Amino acid sequence: MHSKERIINTFEGKPVDRVPTFCAMVEDRTFNEALGKPLIPQEWLLTNPLARYVLDRWGKQLTRPVFQVELNRALEKRIRAQVELGFDSVWAILDETFIVLDSETMARFTGSIFNIQPDGYGNMTYMYRGPGIKSREDFESWPYWPDVDDLAHRTYRFFRKMVSKYGNRTCLFGQGPAYGIQESLLWALGFEKMPVWIRREKDLVKRYIDFNEEICLKTNMALLDAGVPVILQSDDFAFKSGPLMNPRLIDELFGPSYRRIIKAVHDRGAKYVLHSCGDNTLLFDTFISWGVDGLHAYENTSNVDIFSEKKLHGDKVTIIGGVGVDYLLTDRSKDEEVDAEVKKLIAELGPGGRFVIAPVHSLSTIPAQKLRVMVDAVARYGAYPISLS
Amino acid sequence: MNESILAVRKAIDELDLDGIAAIVEKCLEENLSPEEVIEEGISKGLETVGRKFEEGEYFLADLIMAGEVAKEVMPILKAKMRHGDDNSKGKVILATVAGDIHEIGKNIVGLILSANGFEVIDLGVDVSAEKIIDTAKTTGARLLGLSALLTTMVGSIREVVDASRAAGLRDKVKIVIGGACTSENLCEEMGADAYGETAIDALRIFTSYT
Repeated sequence: MHSKERIINTFEGKPVDRVPTFCAMVEDRTFNEALGKPLIPQEWLLTNPLARYVLDRWGKQLTRPVFQVELNRALEKRIRAQVELGFDSVWAILDETFIVLDSETMARFTGSIFNIQPDGYGNMTYMYRGPGIKSREDFESWPYWPDVDDLAHRTYRFFRKMVSKYGNRTCLFGQGPAYGIQESLLWALGFEKMPVWIRREKDLVKRYIDFNEEICLKTNMALLDAGVPVILQSDDFAFKSGPLMNPRLIDELFGPSYRRIIKAVHDRGAKYVLHSCGDNTLLFDTFISWGVDGLHAYENTSNVDIFSEKKLHGDKVTIIGGVGVDYLLTDRSKDEEVDAEVKKLIAELGPGGRFVIAPVHSLSTIPAQKLRVMVDAVARYGAYPISLS
Repeated sequence: MNESILAVRKAIDELDLDGIAAIVEKCLEENLSPEEVIEEGISKGLETVGRKFEEGEYFLADLIMAGEVAKEVMPILKAKMRHGDDNSKGKVILATVAGDIHEIGKNIVGLILSANGFEVIDLGVDVSAEKIIDTAKTTGARLLGLSALLTTMVGSIREVVDASRAAGLRDKVKIVIGGACTSENLCEEMGADAYGETAIDALRIFTSYT
């Protein structure tokens, strides 16, 4: 059975030959290891005085012709690495969402500010610093709102190439330059202030949500035009301790947009997966009511219980995840432990289908070798009918 | 109980950001003291919100909103206090430890502590042990709240504990930790005094030290 057929059948609750696999994006260390390439450190860009001067002076101008081109090259390597590791489906995010402001700062075009910093493995990464929009005036004068049609065009161009290169070897889960509507709002306004904005600036919040819906819709349609069969949207709705907001309010604010987006994706015959970090237990019914086909939302370090969720919702939605990145997919674990956990997950979550085994998240600490162990274990134990005790 | 005080409690409980100011003004017109409005109205209302949060009826955003509702009227009440009155429950230094830049949790704790009458000295993120202890010395604050999200930065908590000992302050200050990577075990391992999982835990712990 082809990977794509295995994945799509799983989403549709149809029989498949074995439990399918999904790779939740791999970071620099992992994809270089997987491809047998040396890790070329980029951290010097943050420490070398000349490099810092260049970034401080021309960061904005260099963003598109240099940094985004380089990032897209790295994205292709990520996709290739995930394919070569043997995953049935891979997550690809076209992260053309930022502008480098100086050697320490980047802005997301939807209103938030991030630090550029070392990732601990010689590479650069980014970390949320704070909101870019602190007042109505900031919102009206934010200089980096994107040209959505241009975004959609760039999304199409990149993924058309990826589909033609890798579409026959894997099932691509594509995400355009569009982060989740709720998390973008949260980053733009700051979590401590977002509840007040929602109460006092309803019209502005609605405009923000509508604009982000447009970004998602147009980039999703571009992904489908390029031949991507599954849309994956990341939108972190929960913390470790539970949802950030009352699920009713989440549904009221973001539900209409997500329902429209998912319907548009379904109308084109494609599938829709939502990724959300944290303990989403109280939100699963809401997500399912929006029409998602799959959920990658079962972080093992939160209180969410993937086994209970399979029993509760496994007939309505495909459950994606299971393999922890806090210990199992690190240098600290033993291969036998990964093998045993994969076997256990398949034994408990595999029967009845609608389960895709995957790392629960991406992380810069995941060794490629541990992902190989995981994929090998799925090949060993995952054949249907599942007959593991 | 006075009707207007009950209305203050209700406004906090119902997260009535736009209605609270008029209710507090009415309390003051009725010659209720600002201290009484804070203690019997705002603090009790926040207690109810905290209980609802712990019981799962309210969410983190509601907790933040309750703090904002309380903050909305604090300037009105402080302006009416007699000069020299100090109803502060004490000074609390809050900081995200060195090497870590996450501050949402810390800011929520700060909001809840301020709304409950603590004087919060927020040192921000990526704060060195030296700066935290120097601030404790210069301000006389004896309550320290340390936040950490990154597992790799937990060593910074121990640095603060060690620095307080080196400065001869360890027996005088209480060090409370919180954040995604922290736990009761870590608290013990680092030699801190208490661990709080939520902002309401932090409020309860700091209140117990006053």
